[in-house]
Amino acid sequence: MKKLWLVLAALVIASLVLTACGGAAAPEAPAVEAEAPAEEASAAEEEPMEEEPMEEEAMDSEKTQVRWYVGLGAGTDEGAIPLEEAFVEAYNASQDEIELVLEIVDADNAADTLATQIAAGNPPDIVGPVGIKGRDQFKGAWLDLAPMIEANNYDLSGFDPSMVDFYLVKEEGQLGIPFGIFPSFVLYNKDLFDEAGLPYPPAEYGVPYVDADGVEHEWTIEYMTELAKVLTVDANGNDASMEEFDSENIVQFGWMNQWTDWRGVGTMFGADSLVAEDGTAQMPEQWIEAVKWTYDGFWNSWFIPNGPYGGAEFLQGGGGPFSSGNMGMIQMHTWFLAPWAFDGTTFDWDVAAMPSHNGVTTAKMHADTFGILKASQNSEAAFEVLTYMLSEEHATDLLTIYGGMPARLSLQDDYYGIHAETNLDGKEINWDVIAEGMAYADNPNHESWMPSYLETNDRYNETWNYFANTPDLTEEDIDAEIATLVADLQAIFDAAE
Amino acid sequence: MSFFEGVELLKKDKARGKRKLTGSEKREARTGLAFLSPWMIGFVLFYLLPMIASFVFSLYDFNPAVPDQAKFIGFENWQRALVIDEEVRLSFFRTIHFMAISLPITLSFTLFLAVLMNSEHVIGKNIYRTLFYMPTMIPLVAGVLVWNGVLNEQTGWVNVIIEKLTGIEAVGTEGLRWLADPKLVYYAYTMFGLWGVGNGMIIFLAGLQGVPTEIYEAAQIDGAGWWRRLFRITVPLITPVIFYQLVLSVIASLQYFLAPFVLNDGTGFPEGMTRFYMVYFYKQSFSFFNMGYGATLAWLMFLVALVLTAILFGTAKYWVYYASEER
Amino acid sequence: MAKNKVVSKNMRVAGMKLGLTGLVLAVLFLFLIPMFYGIVTSLKTDNQLSIIGAPWWPAAEGSFNYEGKDYDVYSVPMEDGTVRELALYKKGRKVSEFVDPKNPEAGPFEWEGAWRQLERVWSFSPQWSNFKEAWDTVNFPRLLWNTLVYASVTTFGAVFSSALVAYGFSRFKIPGKGVLFMLMLSTVILPSAVTLIPTYFVFLKLGWVGTWLPLIIPAFFSWGTNTFLLRQFFMSIPRELDEAAMIDGASPLRVFVSIILPTSGPALTAVGLFHFFWAWNDFFGPLIYLAGNPDKFPITVGLTAFNNLYSQSTNLIQAASLISAVIPVIIFFLAQKQFMQGVVVTGVEK
Repeated sequence: MKKLWLVLAALVIASLVLTACGGAAAPEAPAVEAEAPAEEASAAEEEPMEEEPMEEEAMDSEKTQVRWYVGLGAGTDEGAIPLEEAFVEAYNASQDEIELVLEIVDADNAADTLATQIAAGNPPDIVGPVGIKGRDQFKGAWLDLAPMIEANNYDLSGFDPSMVDFYLVKEEGQLGIPFGIFPSFVLYNKDLFDEAGLPYPPAEYGVPYVDADGVEHEWTIEYMTELAKVLTVDANGNDASMEEFDSENIVQFGWMNQWTDWRGVGTMFGADSLVAEDGTAQMPEQWIEAVKWTYDGFWNSWFIPNGPYGGAEFLQGGGGPFSSGNMGMIQMHTWFLAPWAFDGTTFDWDVAAMPSHNGVTTAKMHADTFGILKASQNSEAAFEVLTYMLSEEHATDLLTIYGGMPARLSLQDDYYGIHAETNLDGKEINWDVIAEGMAYADNPNHESWMPSYLETNDRYNETWNYFANTPDLTEEDIDAEIATLVADLQAIFDAAE
Repeated sequence: MSFFEGVELLKKDKARGKRKLTGSEKREARTGLAFLSPWMIGFVLFYLLPMIASFVFSLYDFNPAVPDQAKFIGFENWQRALVIDEEVRLSFFRTIHFMAISLPITLSFTLFLAVLMNSEHVIGKNIYRTLFYMPTMIPLVAGVLVWNGVLNEQTGWVNVIIEKLTGIEAVGTEGLRWLADPKLVYYAYTMFGLWGVGNGMIIFLAGLQGVPTEIYEAAQIDGAGWWRRLFRITVPLITPVIFYQLVLSVIASLQYFLAPFVLNDGTGFPEGMTRFYMVYFYKQSFSFFNMGYGATLAWLMFLVALVLTAILFGTAKYWVYYASEER
Repeated sequence: MAKNKVVSKNMRVAGMKLGLTGLVLAVLFLFLIPMFYGIVTSLKTDNQLSIIGAPWWPAAEGSFNYEGKDYDVYSVPMEDGTVRELALYKKGRKVSEFVDPKNPEAGPFEWEGAWRQLERVWSFSPQWSNFKEAWDTVNFPRLLWNTLVYASVTTFGAVFSSALVAYGFSRFKIPGKGVLFMLMLSTVILPSAVTLIPTYFVFLKLGWVGTWLPLIIPAFFSWGTNTFLLRQFFMSIPRELDEAAMIDGASPLRVFVSIILPTSGPALTAVGLFHFFWAWNDFFGPLIYLAGNPDKFPITVGLTAFNNLYSQSTNLIQAASLISAVIPVIIFFLAQKQFMQGVVVTGVEK
């Protein structure tokens, strides 16, 4: 019995060792890689070894495989997946040269997984939709599309030139072709304005706010703050502009720059960067102003939910605080105008102009596109797929999945109707103010490049969280924290050199 | 390789191995190795190459997003970790600090629970065991949501119950801010950890099953009380399992990372208190993509953990009782 | 006297039973608060979570349909001292308008005061439909089947191989055994995240990426934690037993099969459960090796898309999690009977 067992075990093990040795030896001896383990056949149509010179060999028998990796931005939720699958199926049916393969990885793990694939030599070809954050995290991994744009005579005249330049990165090249843009605006809860007896915020840029008594006020952050205080209410029905307001029992808030960070909030006060012209770390004046205004909103005037209130149940909804119905106004982007944010809500809402600061209005902008990885073995084929995805005929199909406005000018006019129809049951909202907002886009963009992008991001978020969770700080305390922050950022920038 | 030095500590019997083996000893060794062979083959196949490779990473400036730009930099990463980067030291001591709080609480609670779940005096143990185990089966994301909910300072049940029962003002921004107060956060994380007590409980339970009933009965007839029996008979007899739990808890504490990572994205909130060593490692490796530096941090932690484990093994002969070694 | 002693002993045992069971129940109560919170949450409506002053139990707010629209019902104290249940027709800071559901024809009338100080009318209303919605959105049968297969196969492999290796470590004199054992523990001590990329590389070269093989095969070559645990158990089995068998001419394998394994039921069960639930909850491995193969996803990976969609709808996420925990709970309940032997059974006889 013992013998039999040993023989059996030896057989199993030996076969494994044989396959493994070939594989494990490969890094030292690249020549071995041609051998395809016999087991692989039974493992069905798995990833073929991509190092093989695909283009030449695959021509007659197999289609070229192009892997499309989704996860660094939108597109990983249950609602988007079937639509993406349908898009891939339609593409594969439309031609017989290329087989497009969809790979969706949950957003929380998308970066690690992609890095692992690239580092281990199994990279996908197309990655996206990817925003600026994802692009900068994978700095250096993207293919410069300029040579292919030229070789294929790809026409870029259908886009606003500034949007094309958005993807032109110093020393790296043209890393993307414009796809979707997501302007921002004030999103407000009409019911809460009605309840407070307040008229709605301005429905176009450049006009004043007219209050209940017919008096005009310039639509500034300062005046918006006054509205926000009236919209911040405690359990007794007193609002934050009153003496008897009970800050321990707030049940409704007036304002929030929802789902953004210091740079996003700062940009409302004026676009700028943490990186000075000479490359050193800085905190722009108006961003300091922004954080002090926010701190006042957190802990003294109470119109912005601070850390503790932010986690409270009455502010949880499908799309965060605004969807709870207990939030008067937020700043938001077009990708928010989707079923996941509004399903099951009963209040009425609309969009309005962003307020100005010192005479300047800034409505921060998000932009997404698809990139091709440098490591891609089939970049030519990937480019072909990319042009299909961004084409006049098909871009809208993808954009409605992700809630973006087309970067292609010719598609923008029809877009509102299609978006409202597919995402909002045809609800009528003030699309004009969203389109107008594009003229006030932030430059430099609030997500633009910084050295050690994510480390820098982490560091300033830490200070921001400290403010959100620490009452009773004086102005000097805040200044001191900011000074420490800038010094730390400088150290991070220096280390990145 | 340096980590073998740690091994030397416990390899007291190595000297014995030096002399020539007799024929029967050879046979025994060969049979033993045959039993070890599944592990040895698996080790060579699946672990050896990756371990070596990860050590090699630590000598490189290596960004996984652009692997072709990797650059050999010698021991620069090691120098940065040991000399320059203060966060390494800080995050390491945070880890030790947290371990000092959570490990004793968790271990003793687990043992306490297992003893209760094994006691003849408790009615309906099957149900309780399953219920105590249940949180272990809840997906982590849901578990984190639940804890965020019950520990919320404004609306969380924990604070509401504390306030109702004791009258202490626990609710609100002036109350008990479990996840936001640097003084409380380690206890909050310990509570969250206690929720996963199920695995430890079944291991102790299995150990308790091995306590021979005769010894127990004999002691009972001698009139030994419950506590006396617990500490004189039960505990000594399950020291091998306690030892296992201790070693693995130390390793797991040093590697503690998932809960803070899911609870607050590894931001270190509040005030950097939860930026534990492995959180920092993970950030460096997979967020900032300093994989070379990350590998250095991991290997540093590996060496520390190996030494600690070796020391624990060294102490084992003073307090761990193995029935098979009684001659 | 003797009789008295028996009575007092019985009394003492009964008291002990009561006391200890009470203690367990108290601990259990505290322990399960979060669980209970999860279950309660899974039965709430989306809205209830965000309504101020909502009860902690799953409830529906009273509402009244007036001219085609729903309005919330509140308990309103009237000037004459009575309290009436009225529908809030138009909210205002100082004056609000209400409709009487019993007399809607009378139309809306004004009421002075802050409506926020009024109490809503609630009725108990668990939303079982949350479970149905979760069930319908997620392909549970396929995900659970995948997970069950994965967990069962690896558990079998892990227990079997770890038992063999642990036997080797606990019973044989092998030169360099200590070094080998430390080497095995090293695979546990070195954080797996740091070997992720090279490990992925190995499996890629083996052609296993995109299949279950990288997740299943290594389990058959024993794992450090499992082996360590079983070694601890085996070392607690007195040698007299196997030595006696050896003298009778039994081979080491025979001793393993007929002596070590049968006496280690609880230990093997513990390791099996341990591994089973580890595999059940395994997330990162399947995520990374099965990327792009949604047909092969286990429940953990399959649920992430669902959780992303409902990232703020805690109730649905809890419902989905509870569904996914049903099978493990049943398996645990059946398996834990193993821990009922030994001390417990004989102890009761006393």
